[in-house]
Amino acid sequence: MLTAKNFKMPLEVWNHQPASHMEKDRRKPIMERQNKIIKEVSIITGLSIMAGFLINYFSPNGISYIGSWDTASGVITAKAKNDAVVREREIMDVKTVKQIFDTGKAVFIDARPCKEYENGHIKGAISFPAAQFDERIEIFLSNYPPSISIVTYCSGRECRDSHELAQMLIDSGFSETRVFIDGYPTWKKEGYPIE
Amino acid sequence: MNKRIPALVWNRKLQLSFRLVLGIAFIYASIHKIIYPGKFAQIIYGYGLFPCELINITAILLPFLEFFSGLFLVIGIYKESAALIINIMLAVFISAISINLIRGHEFDCGCFSVEITGYDLSSVHLLLRDIVFLLMGVHLFITGSKDDDN
Repeated sequence: MLTAKNFKMPLEVWNHQPASHMEKDRRKPIMERQNKIIKEVSIITGLSIMAGFLINYFSPNGISYIGSWDTASGVITAKAKNDAVVREREIMDVKTVKQIFDTGKAVFIDARPCKEYENGHIKGAISFPAAQFDERIEIFLSNYPPSISIVTYCSGRECRDSHELAQMLIDSGFSETRVFIDGYPTWKKEGYPIE
Repeated sequence: MNKRIPALVWNRKLQLSFRLVLGIAFIYASIHKIIYPGKFAQIIYGYGLFPCELINITAILLPFLEFFSGLFLVIGIYKESAALIINIMLAVFISAISINLIRGHEFDCGCFSVEITGYDLSSVHLLLRDIVFLLMGVHLFITGSKDDDN
């Protein structure tokens, strides 16, 4: 016998189930696209991570996972395998550099580009831009014996030119080479001789 | 959704052009960074926006993300996802350049070469170029699934 109670279930199915199916059908391609993108992005990212660590490990220019980016500890560096920044060569105190300067026994070398040197440099310093090492080293070798003391400098602790020049000079035989890490701005600020 | 994209916008030749331009640009930009991660790390430091602990890891991994995303875009595999990754990277680059422009912080972007000398694009030019790239990338991402539907 047909009663309202008997009709309740079919009506519910008629009213709600098809709508629910339609919603699912509509969402299906979107969900599939999302899943596809998540999967592909994971593959590209995973591949990049693996290749990145692997090549960095074997590359001669590879760097450590954490660099030295605090200027309080010296010139900033990514700590590469072939890094020119060597802490033992660094002179951190400007007064120590002034003492060396006053002895007159060390050659001060400005590793900045020529234009910056011309705008002002430590008194008596010679210009030897790190980027022009190959062109200038022959003349330098003919003028200075490898036994001399050298102090290189550039424009501060965020500048690596003084370290890179020092490394190249040491490789050329000038073993008594050190780096004044605070460079010309601090020297000038202290009121020490410039020209 | 794709049926609503006008035929002029969804154009196979346009899509291919965008894929090649973006893909080659990202592959090219990644090469120097992969060879010289130390110099790239210094450029990231120069932005003055990233925590020191993350600079080296970013310098090691980001160039490869650029390289593989560009490569997949060029060869046409996973192109929709590659476009998404490139768009995220471009959004980060645009934000970083904009923040530094607003606060007057100068830096070398490191986008195409880690050599500081000889790189003469100003921050504004870089910003405009990255915005154009981002528009291309968004186009590729939106129209990317069209091929799969056909």
